[in-house]
Amino acid sequence: MTELDIESITQIDERVTGTYRPEVWEDRAAYYIRRDPDSSQVAEVDGTVVGFMMGEVRGGEFGMNEPTGWVEFFGVDPSARGRSLGRRLLEALLAHFRERGAQVARTMVQEKDAEIAGFLSAMGFKPAKVVPLERRPL
Amino acid sequence: MSERTYEVPKPYHDAVMHWQKHNFPDYPLLSQTWEKYFPTDQPFCLCARIQESIPDVQPVGAHAGEPRSLRPAELEPEAARHLLAIIRAQASTEFGSIQQHQATLERANDDQDKMWVLRVMAEELRHGYQMIHLLTSADWSSVSDAKPVDMVEEILSMRTGSHVLAAFNLEYDSFVDNVIFCAFIDRVGKYQLTMQKASCYRPFAASMPPMLREEAFHLATGVIPMRRWVEKAASGDPLITMATLQRAVNKWFGRGLEMFGHEAKGHEIVALGLKDMANGEAQDAYIDECGKMLDDLNKRHVRAMEARAATVDEADLLRLPHPRFFRRRGEPAFQMIAVDGAPFADVDAYVRHLGAVLPEAYLASRDVKHYVETLRKLVAGQITIKDAIKSTPHLARVGGACPCSNSVRWVVEDAA
Repeated sequence: MTELDIESITQIDERVTGTYRPEVWEDRAAYYIRRDPDSSQVAEVDGTVVGFMMGEVRGGEFGMNEPTGWVEFFGVDPSARGRSLGRRLLEALLAHFRERGAQVARTMVQEKDAEIAGFLSAMGFKPAKVVPLERRPL
Repeated sequence: MSERTYEVPKPYHDAVMHWQKHNFPDYPLLSQTWEKYFPTDQPFCLCARIQESIPDVQPVGAHAGEPRSLRPAELEPEAARHLLAIIRAQASTEFGSIQQHQATLERANDDQDKMWVLRVMAEELRHGYQMIHLLTSADWSSVSDAKPVDMVEEILSMRTGSHVLAAFNLEYDSFVDNVIFCAFIDRVGKYQLTMQKASCYRPFAASMPPMLREEAFHLATGVIPMRRWVEKAASGDPLITMATLQRAVNKWFGRGLEMFGHEAKGHEIVALGLKDMANGEAQDAYIDECGKMLDDLNKRHVRAMEARAATVDEADLLRLPHPRFFRRRGEPAFQMIAVDGAPFADVDAYVRHLGAVLPEAYLASRDVKHYVETLRKLVAGQITIKDAIKSTPHLARVGGACPCSNSVRWVVEDAA
């Protein structure tokens, strides 16, 4: 992923969520590019970016000190689905995590996102021994 | 992806830090503000980084498939001479860009933009340090009489105006130049580093991946503020306009093209195994990439205009100048070509055109003055095109320029 993918990523997100949020994706892209530009991935079809997956290796979150590959943001253009792009993006990201010394990959998915949960499950992700907690209202 | 880090011998390290005091006084601000602007990022390290895992064999050139060289003396003399010139030019660009950025850094109207450029400057310092490591950690005596200490002094004594490449001899007019420079000139840097990754000289090739990872952020430091500026321009903000950005693009694009070298040349560098693309091929890819960058910026601008239900004026959209516009090197050097590619026959008309499309503050610079004077002499038949091209700034020794007693020269004496 490079700085020239930001516009395409913003448009994919808009097609998926219905919201145009360029500032959000500029901030997120800047974060990953400055920390590990080789990590986050994009998928192209005929020279057009139709999918992205952002993540990086970090250690120490929530007391889990082992280097962990965190899968954090991803999306595939609805018009490009059914081509195993999500699988290929994730495989590329996981390969990079391994290169960076991670032995585990982690992510979170909301209960309502059954499609994403199904995709991650098919890719070998299993419920972790970590309980997500929240306090609402704060 | 493991890296080995090196510090250059103390006299050279001290010389770089001394150079920093004079040319990059804001450097200490980076560590003071790092946690605020780059929280949890690896702290900045002024060191040479060598990637350990690169292929052992040469990927291109007449000796493709053979082991990469570990010492300059193992290279063909011609390859070693070219490589030494490339390393010195690369070092010049790294230190030169810091001198340019520093002059207008304080004029940033956004703290984040400023701190991003500050980080870019520190990483350029590291890249210059990397080149000094390459010059001082190997024996270049097979192809140069210059001692490493003199090579380092020569690089550190250069000022804006005496650097190897023209793009690093231009003064910035405002913080707009800091940002446009990152978007356009650092993009050339990305191409050069990528091509040099194929080098037959292993220490040089292995220097490129860590530099490229940092260069990726340098490009974002150009493009992301530009994306926000074109959005502001759409909001009717009178302080930033598309016309301002277009003029800055017109100023820098030609200089970026010239950094690739003459369009028809560079094949011998590929044959020698130093890069994997000739100049014209790399330049064409760069032009395409710059075009995509401007397309994306225009999309961002149009969306912001549409959100305000404003009418988009096609003339406001950013466009690349014609590659032959305002050139002083390469095949189109000193041809009178307009931003849209139309030829001019009359010098005065062409100068008026330059006045209409270049940044106002830049028009009064020594650089434009030199260009116009040279062009007039060329058209009048007083000089040849060769003379005109040669008259542009080139490598010049400005030794002993350090204004204090603890000078770069002192380091030379210490090392001797």
